[in-house]
Amino acid sequence: MDPAAIETHGLARRFGDLIAVENVTLTVTQGQFFGFLGPNGAGKSTTIKMLTGLLEPSAGTIEILGQPFSSTALHLKRQIGVVPEGMALLGRLTATEYLRFVGRMYGLDRATVERRTEELLEFMQLANERRKMVTDFSHGMQKKLALAAAVIHGPKVLFLDEPFEGVDAIAAGMLKSMLQGMIQRGTTIFLTTHVLEIVERLCSHVAIIHQGRLVANGSIETLRAGVASTLPGAESGQRLTLEEIFLSIVGAGGGEPVQELSWLT
Amino acid sequence: MADLSGPFDAGLAPTGPGPFSRLARVQYAALIAMRARIFANNFRTSSGAFEFGARAISYFIYSLMGLGLGVGAGSVAFSLVSHDHLQPLFIEFWVICILWQAISIALASLQEHFDLGSLLRFPVNFGSFYLLHLIFGLVDASTLAGGLSCLGLLTGITLARPDLFGPTVLALLEFAAFNILLVRAILAWLDRWLAKRRSREIISAVFLLATVSVQLLNPVLREDRPFAHHHHVGGPKTGELRPWVNAIRTTQAWLPPGLASAVVWEADQHESTAIAASLGILGIFVLGAGGLLGIRLRAEYRGENLGEAPSRSKNEKREAAWLISGSGPISAEIEKELRTLFRSMPQLYAVFVPMVMVVIIGSLFRTGATAIAHPFRLAIPICVAYGLLGFTQLIYNNLGAEGKGIQLVFLFPVPVRTVILAKNLFHGALYIFIALVSGVLASLRIGRPDPDVIAATVGWLIFALPANLAAGNVISLTMAYRVNLGRIGRQSGSQANALLSMLIQTTILGIGVGVISLCSIFDRLWLAAPILLAFAVVAVIAWLTVLRNVDAMANARRDTLIAKLVKTE
Ligand SMILES: Nc1ncnc2c1ncn2[C@@H]1O[C@H](COP(=O)(O)OP(=O)(O)OP(=O)(O)O)[C@@H](O)[C@H]1O
Ligand SMILES: [Mg+2]
Repeated sequence: MDPAAIETHGLARRFGDLIAVENVTLTVTQGQFFGFLGPNGAGKSTTIKMLTGLLEPSAGTIEILGQPFSSTALHLKRQIGVVPEGMALLGRLTATEYLRFVGRMYGLDRATVERRTEELLEFMQLANERRKMVTDFSHGMQKKLALAAAVIHGPKVLFLDEPFEGVDAIAAGMLKSMLQGMIQRGTTIFLTTHVLEIVERLCSHVAIIHQGRLVANGSIETLRAGVASTLPGAESGQRLTLEEIFLSIVGAGGGEPVQELSWLT
Repeated sequence: MADLSGPFDAGLAPTGPGPFSRLARVQYAALIAMRARIFANNFRTSSGAFEFGARAISYFIYSLMGLGLGVGAGSVAFSLVSHDHLQPLFIEFWVICILWQAISIALASLQEHFDLGSLLRFPVNFGSFYLLHLIFGLVDASTLAGGLSCLGLLTGITLARPDLFGPTVLALLEFAAFNILLVRAILAWLDRWLAKRRSREIISAVFLLATVSVQLLNPVLREDRPFAHHHHVGGPKTGELRPWVNAIRTTQAWLPPGLASAVVWEADQHESTAIAASLGILGIFVLGAGGLLGIRLRAEYRGENLGEAPSRSKNEKREAAWLISGSGPISAEIEKELRTLFRSMPQLYAVFVPMVMVVIIGSLFRTGATAIAHPFRLAIPICVAYGLLGFTQLIYNNLGAEGKGIQLVFLFPVPVRTVILAKNLFHGALYIFIALVSGVLASLRIGRPDPDVIAATVGWLIFALPANLAAGNVISLTMAYRVNLGRIGRQSGSQANALLSMLIQTTILGIGVGVISLCSIFDRLWLAAPILLAFAVVAVIAWLTVLRNVDAMANARRDTLIAKLVKTE
């Protein structure tokens, strides 16, 4: 049997007294489209940073593709692609130069770098912007470029921290089909986003983190069944949306705002 | 539009014009409170407290240097005035003016500057904006040095001739105001010009021209030295330049340093109309400098953006090529560094301005050579060392320009050591290039050095490069700070980094100076080179040791490194 793409045990991270992530144990099998959800400040980005070597875990172990992962596991870093929180762009390079640089650092040969850079720029509809410095890109353009850089070396496991934030509807549609295509070819994708509709459509598995702890983990169907059974008078025939599942698990009640800001006209 | 007189307006201070309206005063109070909070919050982390300590120490050092300058300026003025040599005072005013501008230009990318752009979303009027721009960051190295020099001048002149006090104070006040405004105006315009490739090229040409004209100006200053020994260290003979000399001398009298010194001289002659006229013209210069700054600030106030728009034809060609064709990560990293450096104003500036300064310092050595019968023998090594000063920022903060890209260093399947090695190689090559250029420039100004001086200088360079790289790698990993690549004078900076790196640089320089002067005292200057090469061996070993440990260090400091460079505050 194939080893799991991502496997963590008791993963935790503290910032001083704050426990940002606590005892996260999860398994993502290869080829899975995994949605990692949670409210603001729940610990999603912190988890992704630990899984990609950007942040030292305070406790716990990580295995990627069956091998222990740490910041020095260079052979594993070659297998993963990341769009980190805040993106890892270099403002003073142009789009072409940036993609070339990233490709070279992943050890691709010159011909491959050139070909993939071209294809990615075309695909992301950035070909006309290639001469601009990245710092002059719009937010959505930067997101697309960061995504292009994350896949230029054909990673086996892809980590995406809010890749759709600020991306227009046309591009989002294409990105979605690109990601689905990657899944079909066996890539594993670990995605965090606040757009639950995307998760519902793309992801086969979902985990929800709340205040640093995993509060749900499984296929969307499993979660739906679980939530439906706890709801008092819920009709089992009524299909819960992911949003309803999310709100019910995270427990925001979904009611009216606590206090009205009466001076806002 | 909303009716602002309604209840919505309740609790808002009335808007009014001018920098001292009620709204403006409320805003100043808020800004002061905000700065105070930021200041207090710094102490939440130990690095913040450390940073504060470093800042205090740097300002102490700046003040000491300023005090030194002030005492020097004062004693020269005292001896001139008490011997009734009032005329040559103008040289002192010129030196102070040039130093004032030079210090601020040389340190521009090191000094902290609060970015007022973030204030524009509030209803801040232009008067306040201008005032705040002047006040924030007023206490910097150049103001301290310049202000204390002026104070020294005043003291010296007054001690010698108490009756000159009144006009001198007025002249010096205007002179200081002019310098402060000019510094700001120059920096603001530089930012504007350097943001565009075309004007960048023009600026380089102007710098070149300035270099040449310093060459021409030098004989003029020498001519006017009150107790000049007439020796010719090369360069054109004064006689051939007579018309030039006169033209320059009359011109300088109409420029602020000349005007300010004229006031003192006119006070001595009791020509009150002349005093008033000089002060008046000086005042016009103050207004002019203020206006130049105002034009720039006005554009900024309107929300201009200094982005570099793509220029079609040129970029296409440059981009098509790989500058460095190797396929390994080292060549990729070097290519990235090269491209980034030439688009990063503060860094480019930091590297190349000292070279211009070398020419100025070289000239100072030449004019200052009066005390010694012949030009100072070690002037050239000093110029070369100075020319390399700008490297402090590159070598001692070699990750600072990465910004958010720092995350890549930890994402790539490449050891951090490889990335750092590539940076070291790039900086090393640039270092050698700048050392060569500074050496050549300095020799043009001062005259060809003896072979044993050249040997000693080269020996020192071979020692200093690995020593700087070794220390620089450690400090870059432990005290990185984010570089604002767009603006020269808008750096969040790190005084801790600056102080420590200056200290190490001084030590490296000190070793060189120690060895070279010991050898020259015993008249064995040829010995300096081999001794320094022995030091170089130690430095290379240190560098290799640091490189070997870079990965461990970087990974241990990963969290803080990323946090420091990614966060935009
Ligand atoms: N460098 C840091 N220092 C201190 N606390 C931090 C740091 N990074 C994150 N935190 C804290 O950890 C917690 C989790 O943050 P994280 O960025 O992982 O949230 P998130 O789930 O990604 O939220 P969002 O949906 O808003 O992106 C937050 O309380 C945050 O304040
Ligand atoms: Mg996040």
